[in-house]
Amino acid sequence: MSLIEVRDLTKDYRLNVKKRGLLGAVQSLLVPEYKLKRAVDNINFSIEKGEMVGFIGPNGAGKSTTVKMLTGILSPTSGSIMMGGLSPHKDRKKNASRIGAVFGQRTQLWWDLPVADTYDLLRYIYRIPEKKFEQNMEMFNDLLGIQEFMSQPVRQLSLGQRMRADIAAALLHDPEIVFFDEPTIGLDVVAKEKIREFIKKINAEKNTTMLFTTHDMLDIEKTCKRMIIIDQGTIIYNGTVEQIKERYGRSRTLVAEFAQKLDRIDLPAGVELIDQKDNKKYLKFNRDEIQVSGLIAELTSKYNILDLTVTEPEVEAIIREIYEGGIDFDKGISGDSKKSLSEQYCVPC
Amino acid sequence: MYRVDYFAGVINTLVMIFVNIAIWKAIYEADDNLGGVQLKVVMTYIALAFLMQCIFVMEDYFIESKVTSGLISSDLLKPISFRAYVFSYNVGSSVFRVLMQLLPTLVISIFLFKLLPPFSTEMGILFFFSAVLGYLVLYCLNFIVWMSSFWFYYTFSLVTIKDALVMVLSGALIPLWFLPQWLFNFVKLTPFESIFFTPISIYLGQVPAADIKTAIIKQVAWIVVLALAGHLLWNAAKHKLVLQGG
Amino acid sequence: MEHKKFSKLELLKLSLKYSKLNLKCTLEYKFDRFFTTLAVFVREMVSIAVMYLILTRVISIKGWQMNEMFFLYSFLFLSYCIFIFLFTGIRDFDNMVYTGELDRYLIRPLGLLYQVISARVDYCATIGHGAVGVILFLSTYNSVGIDWNFRNIVYYILALLGGVIIQTSLFMVSSCFSFWAVRTTNLRNLIFFNSRRFAGYPISFYPGIVQKMLIFAVPFAFVSYFPSEYFLHKPDLSVFWHGCLYLTPVVGIIMFTLVYIFWRLGLKSYSSSGNSMY
Repeated sequence: MSLIEVRDLTKDYRLNVKKRGLLGAVQSLLVPEYKLKRAVDNINFSIEKGEMVGFIGPNGAGKSTTVKMLTGILSPTSGSIMMGGLSPHKDRKKNASRIGAVFGQRTQLWWDLPVADTYDLLRYIYRIPEKKFEQNMEMFNDLLGIQEFMSQPVRQLSLGQRMRADIAAALLHDPEIVFFDEPTIGLDVVAKEKIREFIKKINAEKNTTMLFTTHDMLDIEKTCKRMIIIDQGTIIYNGTVEQIKERYGRSRTLVAEFAQKLDRIDLPAGVELIDQKDNKKYLKFNRDEIQVSGLIAELTSKYNILDLTVTEPEVEAIIREIYEGGIDFDKGISGDSKKSLSEQYCVPC
Repeated sequence: MYRVDYFAGVINTLVMIFVNIAIWKAIYEADDNLGGVQLKVVMTYIALAFLMQCIFVMEDYFIESKVTSGLISSDLLKPISFRAYVFSYNVGSSVFRVLMQLLPTLVISIFLFKLLPPFSTEMGILFFFSAVLGYLVLYCLNFIVWMSSFWFYYTFSLVTIKDALVMVLSGALIPLWFLPQWLFNFVKLTPFESIFFTPISIYLGQVPAADIKTAIIKQVAWIVVLALAGHLLWNAAKHKLVLQGG
Repeated sequence: MEHKKFSKLELLKLSLKYSKLNLKCTLEYKFDRFFTTLAVFVREMVSIAVMYLILTRVISIKGWQMNEMFFLYSFLFLSYCIFIFLFTGIRDFDNMVYTGELDRYLIRPLGLLYQVISARVDYCATIGHGAVGVILFLSTYNSVGIDWNFRNIVYYILALLGGVIIQTSLFMVSSCFSFWAVRTTNLRNLIFFNSRRFAGYPISFYPGIVQKMLIFAVPFAFVSYFPSEYFLHKPDLSVFWHGCLYLTPVVGIIMFTLVYIFWRLGLKSYSSSGNSMY
């Protein structure tokens, strides 16, 4: 059995329908009317021990709701979650000692105190044995360099330092499963890279299972093998990061630098001029329809070309296209079919 | 939520008047002419004091939030004077309170607590005039406290202590004529008396006609003095802001 | 890691740890916190000052003298001071929901209520209110004719603790609404602090409706009036049932039980809806 097993998970929210006007306000007070909103719609997936999985989807797709159910904050409407044999909501406290969480936008560190004080408190909260605590502190210091700002109040730390300290805080008790919510938000490229490296190292060393929700696709590309895409409450993709590039990243761009500036060029059918700069021209085509070698041969035979490069789209561009509906999804791949969102009105008796 | 706060405000004022009147009734049980003042007069005093309090509410942390967020620098560049902006903001919300809170509360109070009418029509008009001056005295006093946010990060302590002094010494909770003589003499030397006590005393006819002019001149004098002090602080604050470069 | 239940001792130690960190935070801003404490003290002294000014003028109200009234008032401040020292988190609960701190508590291996209570201590309010209470108590306990024998001391302690629980319950009712994302803080402060101000005077001063409110709705009568009547036996007690003198802890326990059920209900609703849609 996998470490995390999610079966037929569904979550409905009850939204208050507010009526307008004074009479409406009184009415909604006496006979409240609710609207059911399905945030997560019958999803299934499983995650093995030691896996790193990216959870992505547009805002309001249901990924935070799913994560909140996985951490035990929210209870499912129906379906089940099993995390190493425990239900996160029903066995909240037991489960909590095995998980850790990093919320990039909210710190769990005490704002006015040095980082060391929070760590000391967490040692009590998670009952971390002295020896393990010291080992971990040493390891985090080697990898993250937290020692240099250990005695500074958190409010004086830079965002990068704070994020490193926060990640260490979430990992201090050697959790089996760690949730990362926007772990690199607001950081510069170097700091982002440092954090990704660290996360990968921890995963390799401790075989920690990790789940990421982030808007930064690079976070996912660089750390996760697998990703789950959620949209409108259902899983629309569940597979490797490689595979999505393979399947949906069919377009290629050929950048050709010509010896002189050309006003117009003859292009074979299926090749599109998308941009030009100085002597460079950007040509987009579908790799299934047109062979790169053929295209290059044709161009070099007609024109004097100085330089050529072919680029493939980044995952981010593919995902953006998926959200925007530009890519027609091959439903077979993830096993889940996209259902329409059900919204019902109901008045309690 | 605002609606709840609004109704709560009206009910709060009514309950405060009701309970304070009950306390004064209990006090008057043993002696129905305490210090030569009838219970009816004290009841009206208390009601007026609480009614005025519900309008004399000002945004104590407005300037502080501008200073701590740094928005003050860009506000100073706007074509409208910052002080005029703060003043009109407070006056505007007070006018709103007059319409939305004071009027309904006043109407209910008149029926519920059998308030005395003004001592005379003339006194009624003078009361209104003096109450506006009282508002300005409080505003100028507040402005001085607000200015301290340029030097201290948080002004909670100063604002709270100022509020406490105003409550006790301006006659907002207890008619000043019940104060021990030495304290009353002291309060007469401060601007506090001008805020609530002077207008209400005029309404009740407690100020002899000959002394009204002095009382009102005193109010105006305090406005001038406090406004001047506020002006000096404002200049110092602007100077400080320029030195720090915003 | 294997999860065992926390023992009472462990929880107590952890609470002390939290208080120590809170103290450290407070001392980070010594200067500012000192003035905040002073301001709270001065603010609370306003109603005492008004009472003092009135009573220097009229000596006694309905047979109550200044020291007796101050003794009565001391109950309110002392029990509030203990309440804040132990349960600041209940006062600030709506903010915890609003900022998402509550979610953080829910992913820790500890009880929610335990964390809410332990996580915060407002030392400024504790000392500000406490100082008023201590001053009032010390200046009156000797002069109001109480024989401080064992029985009376036990009664005093129980009444004080009962008062703490009553005030805790009142604050907790308002906290519970936060589970449904309804903010009641302004309304709560209005009702709580005004009622407390009224309860600073013997409730016999008030018309029946206010008395009933202070007995049944916002039962401050059991925090200050009845406990002090137990010691003072003023004639105005005769209109009330004598058993009320002993009811303070009972009222506290009943209120807390009911509120706790409401709390569980709120928590259940919270875990099914969260604090926002997504």
